[in-house]
Amino acid sequence: MTALLDVKNITVRYGSLTLLDDVSFTLNEGEWLMVCGPNGAGKSTLVGAITQGVPHSGETLYRGKNLKNVKPSETAKYIGVLQQSNSVGYAFSVEEVIRLGRYAHSRGFFAGRGQSGEDDETLVSAAIAKVGLEPFLKQSIMTLSGGELQRTFLAQVFAQNPQILILDEPTNHLDLVYQQRTFELIRGWLTEAPGRAVISVVHDLNLAKAYGTSALLLNRGKTVAHGNPAAALSAASLQTVYEMDVYKWMHTMLSQWED
Amino acid sequence: MTRKTLAAVLALLMTLALLLTACSGSGGGTASPSPATSTAAATPEATPAATPEAAAPADGAGTAAIEVTDQTGKLVTLSAPAAKVIALTPAMNEIINALGSFDIIVGRGEYCDYPAAILNIPSVGSGDNTNIEQIIALNPDLVVMATMAQTTEQAAQLEAAGIAVYSSDAASVAETYDSIEQIGALIGKTAEAEALIASMKATFAELSQNKLSGSIYFEISPLEWGLWTAGTGSFMNEIADIIGLTNVFADVGAWAEVSEEQVIERNPDYIMSITMYYGEGPTPVEEILSRAAWADITAVKNAAILNLPDNELSRPGPRLVDGAKALYDFVKNAQAS
Amino acid sequence: MLKPAKRREGFHPLVYLLFSAVTLVVFVFCVAVGSVSVPLSELRTSMIITGVRLPRVICCALAGASLSVCGCAMQGLLKNPLADASTLGVSAGAGLGAVTAIAFGITLPGLPFAGTTVFASLFAFVSLLAILTLAYSIDRTLATNTIILIGVIFSMFVSALMSILITFAGEKANHMIFWTMGSLSGSSYNNVLLLAGTLLVFGGVLTALSRELNAFAIGEENARHIGVNVKRVKLLVLIATSVLIGVCVSIGGTIAFVGLVTPHMVRMLTGPNHKRLMPASLFGGAVLLMLCDLVSRTMFSPRELPIGVVTSLVGAVLFVRIFYASRRAK
Repeated sequence: MTALLDVKNITVRYGSLTLLDDVSFTLNEGEWLMVCGPNGAGKSTLVGAITQGVPHSGETLYRGKNLKNVKPSETAKYIGVLQQSNSVGYAFSVEEVIRLGRYAHSRGFFAGRGQSGEDDETLVSAAIAKVGLEPFLKQSIMTLSGGELQRTFLAQVFAQNPQILILDEPTNHLDLVYQQRTFELIRGWLTEAPGRAVISVVHDLNLAKAYGTSALLLNRGKTVAHGNPAAALSAASLQTVYEMDVYKWMHTMLSQWED
Repeated sequence: MTRKTLAAVLALLMTLALLLTACSGSGGGTASPSPATSTAAATPEATPAATPEAAAPADGAGTAAIEVTDQTGKLVTLSAPAAKVIALTPAMNEIINALGSFDIIVGRGEYCDYPAAILNIPSVGSGDNTNIEQIIALNPDLVVMATMAQTTEQAAQLEAAGIAVYSSDAASVAETYDSIEQIGALIGKTAEAEALIASMKATFAELSQNKLSGSIYFEISPLEWGLWTAGTGSFMNEIADIIGLTNVFADVGAWAEVSEEQVIERNPDYIMSITMYYGEGPTPVEEILSRAAWADITAVKNAAILNLPDNELSRPGPRLVDGAKALYDFVKNAQAS
Repeated sequence: MLKPAKRREGFHPLVYLLFSAVTLVVFVFCVAVGSVSVPLSELRTSMIITGVRLPRVICCALAGASLSVCGCAMQGLLKNPLADASTLGVSAGAGLGAVTAIAFGITLPGLPFAGTTVFASLFAFVSLLAILTLAYSIDRTLATNTIILIGVIFSMFVSALMSILITFAGEKANHMIFWTMGSLSGSSYNNVLLLAGTLLVFGGVLTALSRELNAFAIGEENARHIGVNVKRVKLLVLIATSVLIGVCVSIGGTIAFVGLVTPHMVRMLTGPNHKRLMPASLFGGAVLLMLCDLVSRTMFSPRELPIGVVTSLVGAVLFVRIFYASRRAK
């Protein structure tokens, strides 16, 4: 296996608060890493540090390149992010939002002046088709439902064509069907080409176990466990992090559905 | 769209209405109550040689020795001629000074600057920033003010503190005579007031005897800040009239921002600017001469431009005649050359 | 296999031709009509036209275009349709700069107005920095209410500083007060050159940032994730808008609301994409300010209304409309 991303000793401090304390892990090609932990564990801060949006110490290497020394447009070619939610202010069309995903690839004076490359067109069309937004292309994003909006930004990040996809709790506020559909789309994206990987911040431990190939359990900014999901999300480690018997609770919840 | 247009038009109309009321408020002396008649009764006009003290017993049937109705129609009473006075406007100070009573001034308004010695007297502010407490602390017998700068509330506060308040509303030469006469009565200088008025009248009569001709444009603020001029209702306009000049903007109110195009179109023979010069860059006259688009104006072609920044033509006081003379001499010289 | 169709986000060249034609018609109309009527035959020789009206109308067009482009850029950058030089208090800041230059007699040798222009731009930049720092530290999402509140507070603060300056300015006070009222009358060809130069350079910078502004208008976080250098773009927009606003304020005083009204009206026609919004606002702003100036010149002739009065009348009504709509949308 080849290491795609090397996260080394990331520490984030805000005044006297330590939000992340010396977190390190390696992300390999084909891996889907689930970042879990209770509120305030530092999950979103970790995403911010990796994408160079939050000041931090430590470093993140993409195929050996330190992202601190890489231009934002270059980073965007490696790493795409699907945010938790996007509030919209102006009536951009679905297509305009998706096309912006190509920003990092087509910059310069002639970019977007009627001369979009064929690469751009193919990737944009494919991304639109993948999420099934063809009927909505000309529609204003202000008129979309939460799920449709999330799919628009998913298509945008697909069009961006990164090697690593980071999902910051993207399905938190969506209903079950959308959650399931989104995760299937992402699994499809991960496996359709080699050399890709996914990092997901999730609250839902069921989703983490169902889709993750590895898991990172954080608590108060510190790594509690890291490894395959079964091991990292063991009964014992969950017990220390959540201060309750998570396994028992999950079983109780599930047993309601048995006839 | 139509609703928006309608709203804009309505708003514009409201602005127009405001402007119109503002004009009628300051436009000319017609708006002020006729104070001259009541004052005539209080000051014995028939006895020009009378001593100031003689004015008091002539009317003194009651306790009040001096009674004057000011230009707002309010009765001002003093038991004796005021010995400590605070004057809030430059013109008032100049009147008191011209009547030979500079030494009774114990406080001044912020913008009083003539004669220069006035600057040694403590300022009590003026307008909205008048320090009423300081005025009361100076314990004057009389405060003289102008309705243009002070409010009736301020006057009421002072009167409540037992200080007599005289308010002037002079917007014409005739009303300026009235306020000189009234202030003279209040400070016991009736004869001096009569003499001052007589001399002013004589000067104006002299100036109007040998009338000038031609048109003039008064520039209040330079082009860079928008052209403001003095129209009907301003002293400049009235004095132009007296000496025989035609104000090219007699059709606008006392103070108005006018269009540069109109100045060129109306082609004045003379220009008088009251812009101050701070000693840097071109002088106001040079600046006007350098305006490319003004080259065809008669006044610019003949370099017939007067810079008179000393407020002589805007203060309702004794120096109005000086300003009128300066303007008269300037035009006379320009015509001669 | 068919080649994917070529796509265009900006306008077709013919649309630009149409915009230019409309602007030209309005321009000619505004030059032909004025408080003094000049016969058509004398249009080219009359001093009133060539010396007064022509430079003034050109200045209006350039200032209108500059302010509108600034409004567009700020509204995109802050993802807030109410952002504008006047609502944010940047114009007030620029005015303070110019008044400071007058108060301390700051001039650059050989360049008239340069002192006020440079100071206005400098103060505009510092104001923008202060306002945004304050806004970000209070509310990272830069909600409409936060922005407006900070704009109001900042404007009050600046006007207090200006009052202090004027109080202690002594005999220069009159000139400073006249200055704050602002006026485009007396616009010279020097002003035209200054406005045209800054618009060409800094308006060009802003227009070249259309794509980045689109990204910001969708969301700053999202912009960062798709690869926009957010810090650099922010800095460029701040510098460009500061200089444009500084130059406009130093020449014409505070011309409120143009930067708010034009993008709003144009957006209804073109949609929010800055590739179309920016150039359309450029033309729209020019047309709007030329017409406002026409009203200010002719409505009460021979008197003149300060142009800021006309734009504020139109702008304030629209401001309420946008604010109302944005509140209802929540």
